[in-house]
Amino acid sequence: MPSNDEIRERIVNVTATVLSVDAADIKNEHDFAADLGAESLQSVELVAGFEEEFEIEMDEEEALSVATVRGAVEYIAKVVVEQHGS
Amino acid sequence: MKLVIYEDHTFENFYPLSLIRPVFDLRCGASSLGDKLRRHFAGLEVVYFIREYLVPTFKQNNGSATVNDCSALDGDLLITNGRWLCLKSAVTAEGEEEIATHGDSVVYIRANRETVARCRGDSFCELLRNLKEALPGRSVDEELISYNWNLVHHNPDAITADFEALGETGVHGEMHPLSCVYGDESQVFVAPGAVIHPTVVLDSTGGPILIEEGVIVFPHTRIEGPCTIGRDTQIVGGKIREGCSIGPVCRVGGEVEESIIHGYSNKYHDGFLGHAYVGEWVNLGAMTTNSDLKNDYSTVEVKLNGKTIDTGDSKVGSFIGDHTKTSIGTLFNTGTVVGMMTNILGGSEILPKSIPSFCLFANGKAFKGFGLRKLLETAETAMGRRKVTLTEADREVLIHAYDSTKEERMEAVKKARREIRRG
Repeated sequence: MPSNDEIRERIVNVTATVLSVDAADIKNEHDFAADLGAESLQSVELVAGFEEEFEIEMDEEEALSVATVRGAVEYIAKVVVEQHGS
Repeated sequence: MKLVIYEDHTFENFYPLSLIRPVFDLRCGASSLGDKLRRHFAGLEVVYFIREYLVPTFKQNNGSATVNDCSALDGDLLITNGRWLCLKSAVTAEGEEEIATHGDSVVYIRANRETVARCRGDSFCELLRNLKEALPGRSVDEELISYNWNLVHHNPDAITADFEALGETGVHGEMHPLSCVYGDESQVFVAPGAVIHPTVVLDSTGGPILIEEGVIVFPHTRIEGPCTIGRDTQIVGGKIREGCSIGPVCRVGGEVEESIIHGYSNKYHDGFLGHAYVGEWVNLGAMTTNSDLKNDYSTVEVKLNGKTIDTGDSKVGSFIGDHTKTSIGTLFNTGTVVGMMTNILGGSEILPKSIPSFCLFANGKAFKGFGLRKLLETAETAMGRRKVTLTEADREVLIHAYDSTKEERMEAVKKARREIRRG
């Protein structure tokens, strides 16, 4: 089970790739849409990117309801535990 | 005597269109394959055998139909394969007991009550198996539809046969004096309540034109026969070329050639649709276009259920599942199979020849999208705009289709994820 810091780092890297933003500029409190500019299609791409990165399957509606980077860390950590064990 | 109409084991050949309807509910001409069987063998009580999960919606749409009820299999039976394209056939309900085949497939079985009683088992399949052993076989020259492109291929002949079976001609609706029938007027039927605006040409030189009640044909439309426009459809200008079956309740413009638009679907804007079969509740965005002919005129191959099939035909368009929506400028390659309830954001490139059901397809990649609940909400909204309710039975059959297409969808989704991760 990766630590939350490791999960965060990997989320930031995926986000930077999909949204074409600088990883160093991404903060925990950033909202994917309002702060990082993710449009609806990019949100779907982010979900796909996270699923590939962590080898997990996320419920589409739950995943898309996560607004912030911090929220993504918490949600993905939970899904990783559920699907890969602690 | 009873008429039995059944689906055989080849229903997957008609995906995605057969995901939510029996094969014999697919259209060819002005009516479905099942309509033609019921018309040809008119007066017989009808019993149906279909996939079990389709029963609630089939009953919902067909009133008091007897479906999957083995207790109804008594008396003399004419058992017909739902894939039979029954046009001008010489086959009658009465006659010698026999099994009529085309290739390896049964076309029909005629059996009397004694034989039926002797061969009955616990299931319809068992009855079929026992009858095949009990009765003499005979090869017949009747047409069995094997794939969706066969429906399109036979559509012009089916329209002509349906027009002749209707037996009515003439303009009974409202036709503006600045519109005209070009060709034989006896080859045109405009139903009462249909409205033909100025500068519309109904060209019957190539075959009959059947326009049903409530249709409105707007100015600057040319309709070439054979063609049928189903009830309450609007043709909003453009070229409706030979061999088209459109409607009911469609809104269609631009250029359409030898295509079947099943019903409740929109292709309002310019763009070419040729040799295609479009399911229900589809919306094709402006300039959505499909290729139906390869540059080298060779036969078209179609990817279906993971296999590549040579259609043997050089003119093959797209097969688009129910509830699918395309964005502006979507370009489909020759012989593309597009799944149902898929949201396609086309872009400028020609899309792959196989697109899964229930996904968001964008930038050339398949995504899980926004989830089934959102898709059902969109369907409910689209249907509500035409005063049609998405019933619980409709929901259940859509959920079944969603589950049954998961493997194909996830294969495409995982491939897309790997591409995204690579950046």
